[in-house]
Amino acid sequence: MKRHFEEAVRHGTLQRGTFMFNARTIVIFGISLAGALVLHAPANADKLDDVLARGKLVVGTGTTNPPWHFKNEVGELVGFDVDVAKMIAKGLFDDDTKIEFVSQASDARIPNILTDKVDVTCQFVTVTAARAQQVAFTIPYYREGVSLMLKSGGKYKNYDELKAAGSAVTISVLQNVFAEQMVHDALPEATVDQFDSVDLMYQSLNSGRADAAATDNSSLKYYMSQNPDQFVDSGYSWNPQSYACIVKRGNPDWLNFVNVALRESMTGTTFPVYKEAYKKWFGEYPTEPKIGFPGELR
Amino acid sequence: MDAFLNQLWIARWPLLDGLITTLQISIVAIVIGTIIGVLVGVQLTYGSYFSRMPFRLYVEIMRGTPVLVSVLAAFYIPSVMGLSLTAKMAGILALSLFAGAHIAELTRGSLQAIPVGQIEAGRSIGLTFKQIVVNVLFPQALRSALPPWINTGVELIKGSSLLSLIGVAELLLNTQEVIGRNFMAIQFYVFSGVIYLVINIALDQTARIFDRR
Repeated sequence: MKRHFEEAVRHGTLQRGTFMFNARTIVIFGISLAGALVLHAPANADKLDDVLARGKLVVGTGTTNPPWHFKNEVGELVGFDVDVAKMIAKGLFDDDTKIEFVSQASDARIPNILTDKVDVTCQFVTVTAARAQQVAFTIPYYREGVSLMLKSGGKYKNYDELKAAGSAVTISVLQNVFAEQMVHDALPEATVDQFDSVDLMYQSLNSGRADAAATDNSSLKYYMSQNPDQFVDSGYSWNPQSYACIVKRGNPDWLNFVNVALRESMTGTTFPVYKEAYKKWFGEYPTEPKIGFPGELR
Repeated sequence: MDAFLNQLWIARWPLLDGLITTLQISIVAIVIGTIIGVLVGVQLTYGSYFSRMPFRLYVEIMRGTPVLVSVLAAFYIPSVMGLSLTAKMAGILALSLFAGAHIAELTRGSLQAIPVGQIEAGRSIGLTFKQIVVNVLFPQALRSALPPWINTGVELIKGSSLLSLIGVAELLLNTQEVIGRNFMAIQFYVFSGVIYLVINIALDQTARIFDRR
């Protein structure tokens, strides 16, 4: 390279300025680019005002996990998370179509909140104290757990019969480091069969290789509602974890607004919307809020 | 197999949309990347020592880091600075910079492979530097640069699948969405793998035709 350059200069063929960038141009360009980026600072009012002024809600969610957030056969984004997000938009603009969904992987949930890519993320985020240090959790809108699904009319009818059968029962479960321990928390002696995909796990129950399948309560409820009358719930669930939406820390009005929208969808005026969404994705109605003293304050 | 074909038929539009997005992103990235790459490549070959340095730094950073890291950086760093790019724009930015660095290196290589006598000959008939580059050097460099340039295109099509991680609805993410609904993971991953393979083999064959000439 050096030889080539020097030869060219020596022979006087190089007249740089005309064709190439010189060092000064580069430095000036770099400084102005950095300056433009730094000067472009975001607004500082509470997020609630920004969202209202913008006229639409930007929601982060996934696209690959039924019944939470997935594309249906005609390519629309649907699911319980999506319906929950629409409840927030409805509260803001009285119009649940004033919403823009940003498709994000599970690992992007917290980064996209921290970098203001989205106003709120509703994407089955499990509430943990560690995460609450990075983002602000809203009130939970679902409590996930692990449940056991049996074939209807099969050898075992419910959890008690499974437990009584001891090591004679085989439980199919999605492969996972904690899978064996998770099953043994509920059925200490059961044989555990691990599968690396959801369809194989269900197939093993269908073919009779396994007596029950253990997986997320929401997935089982959805699967059962998609395949009516073929399966029953054992009636026992364990491993509770709460799902909530997340927003950026430091926006108290915004957090309070989302909380109000969610709480009133679970206990107040917009309960019918929540109730129908719950029925649609989990195949059953949630318990009605009790009239009289507000139960959530007890 | 029938079940798969049935599901494939149901999923034909999302998969086609994904494929179009994959091709669109790759084509835009190779166009921008080629512009960046040729300018940087000329600079790397004929620039003075100090003016070469920032370009060398750019090329080394892009070639020395995984594309996934560039994709995530292009998605998050501008938003930290208050410039919000959509996932697609961030993806095109990352892939263009990646392509630019590779094309800069292959441009430099191709230019240096041309004997210095060519520059001298150009000068002896009174051409300016600009005329020498455009009329004498580029036509010769093009011949040796074309096959590796097409390879860069192949890398871009494969690399575009990484954009699924920032939520760009390209072929891989749309395939994952279909799998999320019907659980036919193996069949649909193989299917999209075959599509990538077919496109890339076709490109590769094109490169070979140019190579033979």
